[in-house]
Amino acid sequence: METLGYLIDGFGVALAPHNLMFALIGAFLGTLIGALPGLGPANGVAILIPLAFTLGLPPETALIMLTSVYAGAMYGGRISSILLNIPGDEPAMMTCLDGYPMAQKGKAAEALAISAIASFMGSLIATIGLILLAPLLAKFALTFGPAEYFALFVLAFATLGGITGKNPVKTILAAAIGLMIATVGIDNTGTQRYTFGVLELYEGVDFIIAIVGLFAISELMFFIEDRAGGGKGPMKVNKLTLSWKEIGSIFPTTLRGGVLGFISGVLPGAGASLGSFISYTLEKKILGSKGHFGEGDPRGVAAPEAGNNGASSGALVPMLTLGVPGSGTTAVLLALLISMNITPGPMMFTQNADIVWGVIAALLVGNFLLLLLNIPLVGIFVKLLSVPPKYLLPIVTMVAFVGIYSISNSAFDLYFMVAFGVAGYILRKLEIPLVPIILGLLLGPEMEKNLGHALTISDGDWSVLWSSGLSITLWALAIIGLVLPVVVGPILRRRMKAAQENVG
Amino acid sequence: MKCNDRIFGLLMLVLAVAYGWGATQFPVPFGGGEGIGPETFPTLLAVVLALSSLYLIVKPDPGSKWPPMRTGLELLIAVVVLIAYVLLLQPLGFIITTTLAVGTLCWRMGAAPIRAYVTGLIAGIVVYFLFTIGLDLSLPLGVLSVLEGS
Repeated sequence: METLGYLIDGFGVALAPHNLMFALIGAFLGTLIGALPGLGPANGVAILIPLAFTLGLPPETALIMLTSVYAGAMYGGRISSILLNIPGDEPAMMTCLDGYPMAQKGKAAEALAISAIASFMGSLIATIGLILLAPLLAKFALTFGPAEYFALFVLAFATLGGITGKNPVKTILAAAIGLMIATVGIDNTGTQRYTFGVLELYEGVDFIIAIVGLFAISELMFFIEDRAGGGKGPMKVNKLTLSWKEIGSIFPTTLRGGVLGFISGVLPGAGASLGSFISYTLEKKILGSKGHFGEGDPRGVAAPEAGNNGASSGALVPMLTLGVPGSGTTAVLLALLISMNITPGPMMFTQNADIVWGVIAALLVGNFLLLLLNIPLVGIFVKLLSVPPKYLLPIVTMVAFVGIYSISNSAFDLYFMVAFGVAGYILRKLEIPLVPIILGLLLGPEMEKNLGHALTISDGDWSVLWSSGLSITLWALAIIGLVLPVVVGPILRRRMKAAQENVG
Repeated sequence: MKCNDRIFGLLMLVLAVAYGWGATQFPVPFGGGEGIGPETFPTLLAVVLALSSLYLIVKPDPGSKWPPMRTGLELLIAVVVLIAYVLLLQPLGFIITTTLAVGTLCWRMGAAPIRAYVTGLIAGIVVYFLFTIGLDLSLPLGVLSVLEGS
């Protein structure tokens, strides 16, 4: 029951007027970021981090704002899926299947409202799951020694490609590059490593610069290459007519979707794509001939949305309790924590209990805010969606520049960011995933520290890394995480594609 | 297009070797003799990178196409614009450089030139006042600072 006490304290933090205001701003910005073309959630949160700094926000407020952005981005992603049949990111793909047909039948407003309700339910279920599971996992994680942590970090990298990932070797390669960048600078023994005598490199590479460069600038370059700057024509949304009966009919669907989503969010490597995919296929199986899936069944909109949002809240469990994020966006949130001098992991639940529980309570509060924002204000978001990227992306890029410049006031950082952007473009062209690079940058110092501790305890004997039952399990899971996508990935991808083609 | 991965793998192999060699050059830290030195982790990374880049060289994926020359030029322009933006930010000031940079980027992405630069100007002014007045941060005013005195 101590959890309940913490949670009430958390609400005290989250409901403080200024925190509530930033949660509202975050929710609004997040929905925008999710809805706008060419701005993924990871990207959007990354651009907003420098802003959180320049505002001089205290850690809990900054985190509350950015978790609201995170939750909001998941809400926003569905708008373009439903209205344009263009999924904002991979998990939103399944929403297109029934969402777009509904919109074509002139029921766009209903589809948007249903998806908002389903998103709400999914997040709500998963947040409750998070409240129940996170303290347990945190307590369990306290038994981890340095060797187990090292294995856990390896596991995080191994499963990062996700079950739908393509080439695991490229994930390893990307992780190695990220970790190598993390070793630049003066290490804890005072040795200069790979600084080449450049003063700006002594403190290492700032990962916020790397993240904004890799994501935001490479995105701009991709848009230029695809000449996709034109945007889409204006869209119309009909007047909303949704009865309580209809909402009631999707209720069981959202319940199942939320639970499934949460589970796949917590599991390493499964992620939101799998969450929405499983929820959709299961719903189709359960309802069978009773539904008309693929032709605009409301439950076909509700299931993947609940799954997708459930997974995104579930993904916060490993990030908060173990300090190991499972997705690009949670990696960016981790970056925020580290740069606020908060060490994520089990200790955070005891040392920074107010922050952790404040954030969790903020998730609940933010969820309500999002539901309130999304149903009446959907028209505004739809209008903003038709702003062509050719105007939007250059402005967003400039805001990213200003954000970085305002924290450091250094031109060097900006050049560095451009360099990261060009590198990000080339790497994406080569299908090298960027998220392991970011994660490597973030986890590198911790990983090296734990390796050092483990080897110091064992007096230099490397076998200490796989000497306990727990660490062996983690290594085994890591290997499975690397091998499984090679076997299962193509099948899953084909199925998702087949489902897409059956409709389109 | 399998050469994409081959070339990249080769480059990464070179990097791994250079990085690993770099690790052997670290001076022994004062009072060393701990379980791990500053070179241990980098050496491990160099090995991992070398192995995975070797794999890429041996078994490359079919790569995606590189953009044609014209698009490549557009990309180059965009990068040059970004670098010029940083270069001119201090001397010309935020509003003028933003107008030029955002305008050029919008224009190259397909907007009509006048609309593009007007967008840039509006964005520059709005962001400038948002940051300086709203967020109390200083952005360089550059040549426009003569207006400030009057």
